[in-house]
Amino acid sequence: MSVADSTVAGRAVIELDHVSRAFKVPGGTITAVDGVSLAIGAGEALCIVGESGCGKTTTGRMLAGILHPTSGRLLYEGEDVWRKKGNELSTFRRAVQLVHQDPYASLNPTRTIFQTLSAPLYRHKKAKGNRDATNRVRHLLDVVGLTPPDDFLGKYPHQLSGGQRQRVAIARALTVDPRVIVADEAVSMVDVSIRISLLNLLLGLRSEMGVSIVLITHDLAVARYFAREGRIGVMYLGRMVELGHSEALVSDPAHPYSAALIAAIPEADPRITRSKERVALKTAEVPSLLALPPGCTFHPRCPLAEPGLCDVQIPELLPLPADTPREVACHVAIRERRPAAELLA
Amino acid sequence: MTPILSVRDLSIDYRTRRGPVHAVRDVSFDIEKGETVAIIGESGSGKTTLAVSFIRLSPRSARITKGQILYTNDRETVDIQTLPDDELRQYRWSECAMVFQAALNSFNPVINIWEQFADTARAHGMKDSAKIHARAQELLDLVHLDPDRILKAYPHELSGGMKQRVLIALSLLLEPQLIILDEPTTALDILTQRSIIDLLGQLRKKLGFSLIFISHDLSIAAELADRMITMYAGTIVERASVTDLFYRPRHPYSVGLLRAVPRVSGAMGSVASIPGSPPDLIRLPSGCTYVPRCPLAIAACAEREPDLVPVDTPNHEARCIRWKTVAEQVGTAEVAVAEKIATA
Ligand SMILES: Nc1ncnc2c1ncn2[C@@H]1O[C@H](COP(=O)(O)OP(=O)(O)OP(=O)(O)O)[C@@H](O)[C@H]1O
Ligand SMILES: Nc1ncnc2c1ncn2[C@@H]1O[C@H](COP(=O)(O)OP(=O)(O)OP(=O)(O)O)[C@@H](O)[C@H]1O
Ligand SMILES: [Mg+2]
Ligand SMILES: [Mg+2]
Repeated sequence: MSVADSTVAGRAVIELDHVSRAFKVPGGTITAVDGVSLAIGAGEALCIVGESGCGKTTTGRMLAGILHPTSGRLLYEGEDVWRKKGNELSTFRRAVQLVHQDPYASLNPTRTIFQTLSAPLYRHKKAKGNRDATNRVRHLLDVVGLTPPDDFLGKYPHQLSGGQRQRVAIARALTVDPRVIVADEAVSMVDVSIRISLLNLLLGLRSEMGVSIVLITHDLAVARYFAREGRIGVMYLGRMVELGHSEALVSDPAHPYSAALIAAIPEADPRITRSKERVALKTAEVPSLLALPPGCTFHPRCPLAEPGLCDVQIPELLPLPADTPREVACHVAIRERRPAAELLA
Repeated sequence: MTPILSVRDLSIDYRTRRGPVHAVRDVSFDIEKGETVAIIGESGSGKTTLAVSFIRLSPRSARITKGQILYTNDRETVDIQTLPDDELRQYRWSECAMVFQAALNSFNPVINIWEQFADTARAHGMKDSAKIHARAQELLDLVHLDPDRILKAYPHELSGGMKQRVLIALSLLLEPQLIILDEPTTALDILTQRSIIDLLGQLRKKLGFSLIFISHDLSIAAELADRMITMYAGTIVERASVTDLFYRPRHPYSVGLLRAVPRVSGAMGSVASIPGSPPDLIRLPSGCTYVPRCPLAIAACAEREPDLVPVDTPNHEARCIRWKTVAEQVGTAEVAVAEKIATA
């Protein structure tokens, strides 16, 4: 069946198991990510979406093993990564690569493209000698579409466009033959055509090399395109509120927050966008992470919220019986056994 | 009726060490009173260069090599380039206001929002603090912000969406007839972006100003624009009503841009990027500048740059000798281009 079905826990490549992450900030402690569980299957394309500050990047950094969770476990092939040592830990580090949100910040400006890409090859003993390294770097540049490769070997980051720099960052992730790439899409990447070509590059890596890709984006249309054969996870204030097959999630969102997001998105189609039904929220105010509402954190804005239930109990992410498998953290949708989109209509 | 803004054969170069960058070339268009026009095109296509010339705020290295920018209000028509300095100051803000690209970071960080309003007002001869205050309150109300709280706040205390609204309120301070927004919602969240779009729609209805907005985001154009202008390599390659551009584009570059935008509703269709990159604006090729990337290019396309010619209707123009072939591929139905191409 579909890629999504290959993600049963046993066959997951990496998995977050009830992971939380707190940060000390002026004024107290915030829980940037709260009890998120997520299993990434081999060759899966999965998107994490949500508004600014909802914890997408923090989740991505924990998936890539760059940030230690405050509680919960990160599993690689079923084993707890943070209990691994030495060799095993470095195997994991190679297997999961994070492609940074901002290629301006992540590429060393004093190094040529060749130096940037050959260093990890030497470090991980994937290249012997200059000749071998050059050939491998040429091949990687070819894979990411920076052709002819010889034009790029001696260039510095400032001599490249934003899109080309992103490609170098992807090539650098590929130097170590990863099994999973976590790509954090820069909000500043505005040029539509460049965006799509980068997404297509990542999708190509997935189908040709079987790499799993987790794309972090704020754009649901991009998520739908990217994960059209996979899943989308929607986050709100640190929690995963919906996780499901992308077409089902987009056409019939199960969580009222996903429904509100989808209804709010302008569409590149005048007729559709001017006649779209909106979901009216009770307030536009987003609660502070320092003073989260009790129960479901969406309840103060939610048109479906029920007093005595939603403002008391934290909803768990539970399967919603439907044709396509999906999970939702909403008391009302679960009780009614129907997606929020239908309850709001 | 005389258009509020009339741009005629405008060309703008930047001086650089390698030679002049031809950032805007032979651009002509009119904006009618109360109309919203969206300018779209890739990064570097000259959108910002064009827009800042309307308020004569181009950088020093920029030079208008040709053409005119005429602005008309109830009283007179003025040529922006020859406007004396004192009249220019009057024209900016009170006739035409611009919210700049990346303006979210352009607030002075050490003065609060009230002082930002007061400074702008005083620079335009409003002296009465009480009047300025009343006006600022009225405008913040209009953009759905709490005036008492916001006026006392410093820029860093506001979210991106709040800052964007303050900037829109500020641009309305002197009741301009023409507002230019450069990337008004880039880097804003979906729900915030939605509220800004709705706000712009409401304000436009209520106040009747003309609006030019520049955006990479075609979906905002689809929602707000009356007419569309597609720019490529410094020049207009297509000009059409919003429905014609989205459903019946006639320039292959517009088709390419439309196919690069995935949608949330309806069929996905064939989403694709445009191969290659825009030409070097210092050494422009002799023929159509889109030839190296164009799937429909033929030998004749490289001979000379085509003129902007009427297609389908007199109000729809494209700079392409192959527009009839585009028309055959895209047809006339009111369906998104990506979908039509997928089913073609
Ligand atoms: N190192 C840190 N120290 C303190 N707070 C942090 C740290 N990293 C993240 N946060 C906070 O955690 C929350 C989640 O941040 P995160 O970067 O994961 O959000 P995001 O969903 O990626 O947002 P965006 O879409 O803007 O990139 C935010 O409130 C952020 O300010
Ligand atoms: N001060 C300058 N000196 C030299 N060249 C410049 C200058 N400003 C802009 N350019 C060049 O002029 C061309 C048009 O730039 P402009 O900023 O108008 O594009 P744009 O369409 O607004 O792009 P974006 O969508 O990225 O904002 C680009 O090739 C750019 O590199
Ligand atoms: Mg982030
Ligand atoms: Mg610009």
